Amino acid sequence: MPRRSLYAAAALLVLVFALVPFVPGAPDSYLFFYLFLVFVHIVISQGWNLVAGYTGQISLAQHAFFGIGGYTTAVVSTTLLADGSYYFNPWTLLASGVVAALFAALIGVPLLSKLAGDYFALGTLGFGEIVRVALVKGGSVTGGSFGISISSEPFDTLRPHYWVGLLLAVLATAAVYAISRSRLGLALMAIREDPLAAAASGVDVLLFKVLAFAAGGFMAGIAGGLYAFYVFAVSPGGFLNLNWTLYPILMCVMGGNGTVLGPVLGAFVMTAVFSAANVWLPTAHPIFSGALIILVMLFMPNGILKAQDTRQGVR
Amino acid sequence: MFEDLSLRLVGELVVNGVLFGPMYGVAAIGLSLIFGTMRIIFLAQGAMIVLGGYCAYWAFKLLGVDPYVTLVLLTPASLLAGALVYQLLFRRVAALEDKNVSLLIAVGLTFMLESLMSVAWTPDPRSITTGYTATSFVLGGMRISFTRSIGFAIAIAATLVVTLFLRRTLAGKAVRAVSENMVSASLVGIAPHRVNMIAFAVGIALAGVAGCTLAATYTIDPYFGFLLSLKALIALALGGLGNVGGALAGGVLLGMVESTSAYFLPGWSDAVAYTVFLLVLMFRPQGLFVRSLRKV
Repeated sequence: MPRRSLYAAAALLVLVFALVPFVPGAPDSYLFFYLFLVFVHIVISQGWNLVAGYTGQISLAQHAFFGIGGYTTAVVSTTLLADGSYYFNPWTLLASGVVAALFAALIGVPLLSKLAGDYFALGTLGFGEIVRVALVKGGSVTGGSFGISISSEPFDTLRPHYWVGLLLAVLATAAVYAISRSRLGLALMAIREDPLAAAASGVDVLLFKVLAFAAGGFMAGIAGGLYAFYVFAVSPGGFLNLNWTLYPILMCVMGGNGTVLGPVLGAFVMTAVFSAANVWLPTAHPIFSGALIILVMLFMPNGILKAQDTRQGVR
Repeated sequence: MFEDLSLRLVGELVVNGVLFGPMYGVAAIGLSLIFGTMRIIFLAQGAMIVLGGYCAYWAFKLLGVDPYVTLVLLTPASLLAGALVYQLLFRRVAALEDKNVSLLIAVGLTFMLESLMSVAWTPDPRSITTGYTATSFVLGGMRISFTRSIGFAIAIAATLVVTLFLRRTLAGKAVRAVSENMVSASLVGIAPHRVNMIAFAVGIALAGVAGCTLAATYTIDPYFGFLLSLKALIALALGGLGNVGGALAGGVLLGMVESTSAYFLPGWSDAVAYTVFLLVLMFRPQGLFVRSLRKV
């Protein structure tokens, strides 16, 4: 498809999604919630896509940044904005992303300068566990193992969540698209293919790795903030759940890791599968999801979009 | 008086760590074998251990079989199970450059096992109470639990067996050769799939051993496995990848770090363990117990 009509199709699709809340009865349906969840998953998956798909650094800390984002939103909402003016404050969302990105940069410098490959993955996993313990032991600031509740009083409809989610998903995908076509993206992909050769060609490997890691953390943090506004309560069990790392990985790998639209496609498909399993097989749902992960990996290890994209020479 | 007390305290902390640590060590050896041959982190190791623990629990509960008798039967069974897991799940993807794939399969297996166990046997914590569970003996003024000591002995024995297997048998030598250099190993006629399968089988057999000992000593629940996997990874990093004795020592060290930090910083012991883990990964990625510098 020529690029111009691709843009047009994407814009039309986004417009259709933006109009869904006006369909009578839609905001109360399960499908509406499903779409909201898809948007959250797209944002967090694009973050991982940037770190692992484009830069080649397997991070297992997406849930940590998601949690940090969620907690930032909760803490800001209950302390600084406790007068009730907080509802969907865009600055709070932004702050969630920034705080998560700061943590990512802070931990990224030592981890990325010293570790690569599996060791980096393990290191990020360790970081996530440290964050979990810190949140549980955080006393009155983080509310211990119960977490923090945000007042759900202003909640009326899921519509604002939906639109913000859609906007963030579009922005995240557009950001990945822009990065993938820029010098920055070229540097990231050079690092993925061969860090030594990239360094020899004048790419500041550590700087770009940390940048990508921080950008990935930023997206996860914002997704966490949005999700906190939806559940009105953050807790170590719900937000520091490893699923928030594993689902994005699954979505990226299934859709096509290191492609712009792979995570989007993966998010739609996998969220549909998980939601369906949740409705029809509530207790056995993770068995089903686990089996599905295994099957996808065995029979489609490269994802849906990857083969096509490499053939066209665009990644 | 105070000096006597603190000395005893230190002694108890050390002994507690030394007795529980080898459990992590045994799990770590399994991970190390699988990582050595296939270069993947088998995250489902912990879930496998818990599954082994449940086998021991139900054998005791329904048939009245002592957990240490189950151990004798479960070890060969889990050896077979390991071979089967490799053939069914990992054979197809073993040669792929993208290690994400095998990592995700292990993750999927963890999900499946955890929820299968929780659906079939409820998420309630279970423990085996035999006539000797509460037994302990006094050594140098310290009370030492009987089941913990047995667990310690079993861990040491398992480590010895694996070491002998790797040093003395042809199959073991093949595993070491593949860990050293996959390409050269296949050039001298070692079949990679067979070696991978052997490493997997031994790794899962160790999970069975660890599971039985765990169930005899501690309380298990279906979701305990992931934490065990992480602890095994820490032990592995402390000891150095591909180093059987080091993995055991890493487990002991981790046990001591945990028991000491649990005493001095209650609730933070996991964070302390992970911090040590990160520091070791960053500054001594070859492990604490390796003298020669091998490039990792």
